[in-house]
Amino acid sequence: MRYKTIVVETDRRMAEEISTTLKRSKDFELLSTYFDADSALGQSHIYNPNLFLIDVESEELLEMLPAFIDLFPKAEIIATMSAWDADIAFQAQKAHVTGSVLKPFKPEELLETINLSVKRGKREPSRVISFFSPKGRSGRTTLAAMLAIDIAKKTNESVALIDGDLQFGDLPIFFDIEPRHTVVDATHDIKLLTPVAFAPYFHNIQDNLWMLASPDRPEYAELVETNNFIDVIRMAGHVFRYLFIDLPAGFNPISLDVSNFADTNFVIAMINTGLEVDHMRRTMDILRERGRKNKFDYPIFTRVNPCTEEERFKLELKLGYPVTAIFPNEYNLVSVANSGRILYGVPLDSQLNQNIEMLSEKIISGEL
Amino acid sequence: MAEGRNSVIISIFSTSSGNGKTVTAINLAAGLANEGYAVCLVDLDLQFGDIATYLKLKPKVTITDAQIALENEEEDFDVLSYLTEYSYKNSDGKGVEFFVLARPPFIFDAYGIEIPVVEHIVNSLKWFDFVVIDLNAAFSALNLAVLDLSTIINFLGVVDFLPSVKNFKIGYDTLIRFEYEESKIRLVENRSNSQKLITGQDVERLIGTKFYHQLPNDFPSINKSIREGVPLIFSSPDAAITKSFIDLAAKYTNKHVEEETPAAEEKKGFFQKIFGKFFG
Repeated sequence: MRYKTIVVETDRRMAEEISTTLKRSKDFELLSTYFDADSALGQSHIYNPNLFLIDVESEELLEMLPAFIDLFPKAEIIATMSAWDADIAFQAQKAHVTGSVLKPFKPEELLETINLSVKRGKREPSRVISFFSPKGRSGRTTLAAMLAIDIAKKTNESVALIDGDLQFGDLPIFFDIEPRHTVVDATHDIKLLTPVAFAPYFHNIQDNLWMLASPDRPEYAELVETNNFIDVIRMAGHVFRYLFIDLPAGFNPISLDVSNFADTNFVIAMINTGLEVDHMRRTMDILRERGRKNKFDYPIFTRVNPCTEEERFKLELKLGYPVTAIFPNEYNLVSVANSGRILYGVPLDSQLNQNIEMLSEKIISGEL
Repeated sequence: MAEGRNSVIISIFSTSSGNGKTVTAINLAAGLANEGYAVCLVDLDLQFGDIATYLKLKPKVTITDAQIALENEEEDFDVLSYLTEYSYKNSDGKGVEFFVLARPPFIFDAYGIEIPVVEHIVNSLKWFDFVVIDLNAAFSALNLAVLDLSTIINFLGVVDFLPSVKNFKIGYDTLIRFEYEESKIRLVENRSNSQKLITGQDVERLIGTKFYHQLPNDFPSINKSIREGVPLIFSSPDAAITKSFIDLAAKYTNKHVEEETPAAEEKKGFFQKIFGKFFG
């Protein structure tokens, strides 16, 4: 497919450079270049374009993005900037652009940006969902992995699992994979990356499911600064539509900051002696105190027996917070995870799987 | 107990959660106390420690109070004022006594506990023959500082689950890389006889060293102990796990060393492959 392209660019020298680039490529046909929003909005329709490259470093153009999207709903709208600015890229994403690219670019980079953004899924900001647990062995990683698998399957949008449990991350074992890149490389390089350059850091698990693993030595966790890790998540949001972030147990800089950044934070505890409800309450008290706006912390209990509505109600009474989901014990699960077969190993008709599906449907519909 | 004797500090450490650190810490402390030693049990799982809850103690003072006191009047600091006594007597008049240094009541306070203060407190517990310290599962600055102070690192693992095996191996390798002496690290396998595909022997081969001790699986006894708030020696005196804890305590006091139990029969197969893949 050849992209019939309109360039809207406030910097004339940059406009010239982009024009030269596009003319060299078979994939793009440059229809016209505009230097302000009004001319572009008023005149572009006569060319019937299917691609806009819009300079979002101009505040005016950034604000006018919704107008372009209204007028040209079928065209791909790519935001362009000369230095990566996560805030601007996020604003463009909220305005429903296809994607963002760093300029000047090569034609292949532009093409890859478009393809990546189309594969990513809906033109919406990514859902960032973190998995927090007061203490370890809560079923946190299992839940993150199973939800990611299910949502990737149901939505056909791209999903990434990011292992924030930097000392003892278990995700690669669950999927029986050996990733080449880790969170350490990603946080180290993030200032130099763009979505297209960042995508290969993720290991492809299947179709539209990907993973960024934690380092293989616990002490490398020291190399990861929390703010860089947040930058990694923000950049990943331009590559993937859903981000599932497994956090280390307890309160620590990573778990606090990442769960605060996430739009949805699942707090997971496994029922064992029953005292876990107290830890959950103490945890929820602190998390709720942050008063996050339009962001939520949801308690989830695993290994609930019997796994019934009545039992959930009892847990709610004891906890003092609504309980978002409960999961039964699944004896198969240990051997499934042991053999790296989490993709195929859990029977579809098990109650565990049914409850996972219920939760993922709520995430997809936006109820959670 | 001899005056001026230096305490033996045993830290209970692991690199994956939920594998019985707290139960081990409590029952090792109780076992040592039962042999007549003065024992202090320290809960350094500062955010979510369960020592006091498992023992049904309601501490009036905690490590937070000790820190405040140390910061305000270091010269008059008396660590004993910040301990909570645990004592149990059964109907025959038999029982056990030891002291507990409880974790902060609030998670916020856990954040405020400083490493030099913990070091000072642990060092000032020299009145005790044994100081048993329950840690949480991470290589944190606090845990490393405590491992440095420790006479013995009781490195605990449940090896029924591949991620736990990986973390046990990584944890052990990391301890060695951080130059803790091998003699100081005592590998203890918990739930050693539970039904599972990975055997203790697989793990010994993987790690390249033997388990120092193996604790059997016994959920009912442990649940009873936690429910009653009573250490295993008195809640389930005849259980195999209780005897195993008594043996472990005896090993640490050098009273008598049990013969190593012969390892379970070797199993080969699928897991060998996965082992090779992740650890090869």
